[in-house]
Amino acid sequence: MSLDQFIEDFEEAVEDVEVGTLSPSTNYRQLEQWDSLSVLTVIAMVDADYDVRLKADDLKGCESLEALFAHIQSKASS
Amino acid sequence: MPKSQFSQVRISGVVTCVPPTEKRIDDEVELFGGNVKQIARLKKTIGLDRRRVVDAKTTTADLCREAALTLLSKSQIAMDQIDSVICVTQTPDYLQPCNAAVLHGQLGLRKDCAALDVNLGCSGYVYGLWLAHMMVSAGGCERVLLLAGDTISRLAHPKDRAVAPIFGDGGSATLVERTAAQSNSWFSVETDGSGFDKLMVPAGGHRTPCSGETSQEIEDEGGNIRTLENLFMDGAEVFNFSIQVEPRAVRELLEYAETDVEGVDYFVFHQANRYILTNIAKRLKIDVAKVPMQTVERYGNQSSASIPSAICGELSEQTIAGSSRVLLSGFGVGLSWASTILDLADLSVCEIIESAPSA
Repeated sequence: MSLDQFIEDFEEAVEDVEVGTLSPSTNYRQLEQWDSLSVLTVIAMVDADYDVRLKADDLKGCESLEALFAHIQSKASS
Repeated sequence: MPKSQFSQVRISGVVTCVPPTEKRIDDEVELFGGNVKQIARLKKTIGLDRRRVVDAKTTTADLCREAALTLLSKSQIAMDQIDSVICVTQTPDYLQPCNAAVLHGQLGLRKDCAALDVNLGCSGYVYGLWLAHMMVSAGGCERVLLLAGDTISRLAHPKDRAVAPIFGDGGSATLVERTAAQSNSWFSVETDGSGFDKLMVPAGGHRTPCSGETSQEIEDEGGNIRTLENLFMDGAEVFNFSIQVEPRAVRELLEYAETDVEGVDYFVFHQANRYILTNIAKRLKIDVAKVPMQTVERYGNQSSASIPSAICGELSEQTIAGSSRVLLSGFGVGLSWASTILDLADLSVCEIIESAPSA
């Protein structure tokens, strides 16, 4: 699991986001495309590709893609 | 989990009735604050498009009655041949009596006929089939009329984007009867009541009766508006629930029936939305061609009527003329989920009808 790969997966999961446009420090919750639908598509991607069950609150609790990735890794190892 | 198997009970016909009024998400730009891109994403990803909704005078009982009349006449079954009627609904005409009693009277069924309601939603059709199979197997009933339907559109606040564009209305009628021929079916039914508040109408029952307070509009952090008398759905949690429990429940039932995904012709899931169904199919490695999922974009999420609606709308050719082994699986409010594997063969009727506009 690499952060670069995660960012790519995230870009693919959220409709209308171009691949290569996000960075580790991106606050995804400020994205124009961030809505209740992208919450679902990211939860589904993380479930399928990382075998981690995120809650909507987990997504509300992180300020950047880097922080979200760290959170997923901590849930994966617990 | 309670699993059960039956061998001499069959479904002999299914009819689903939808109201004539159609709403389209394309006409609701205002609901999405003018965000046409968001509407495009919802159409593409979730599969939302059109939905059928009742007018203020039409109820679930009306839709189910029309479905039952068509089912019985096309099956050439007389009213006095029905031994039991089960209504699955969360939108009954009255708090009491139950819809089954109301419809028993309207249809003119025999007095030595059982009539009861089941208060379940998206899992309810399979629960109803399970009850009907038990009634027939136990020996008391030759023929059970299962009426499953809801008018959830009337519970959705028009300014709540989490529910308003999703739910449509429908009422179905299914005939379950004893057969001398071998007709195998397998069921599993499950519940997680700790999630009761993920999908609920908080007020209007006896815990919180309707009052001035419960009819106040409240805006949530996402800008959606609803009252305590409207349907509330925690979309992310319900989605999580669905993709956790459904693949496992399906795998366990396939094992119980000593078959696998190749041994089933069609997987008819509760038509929640296309995104949930493709996610479930992907996890089970089912070919999406075996998973009907166009019902929700045509009619909306019809709650307890969604599985019969998908059978009538997407599988009628297979079930009228031929035979298909199908897996039916519903999941939702409760939280509750139920699945069955059974054969749909030579149905006397399998179609969608439109209710007449109310006068």
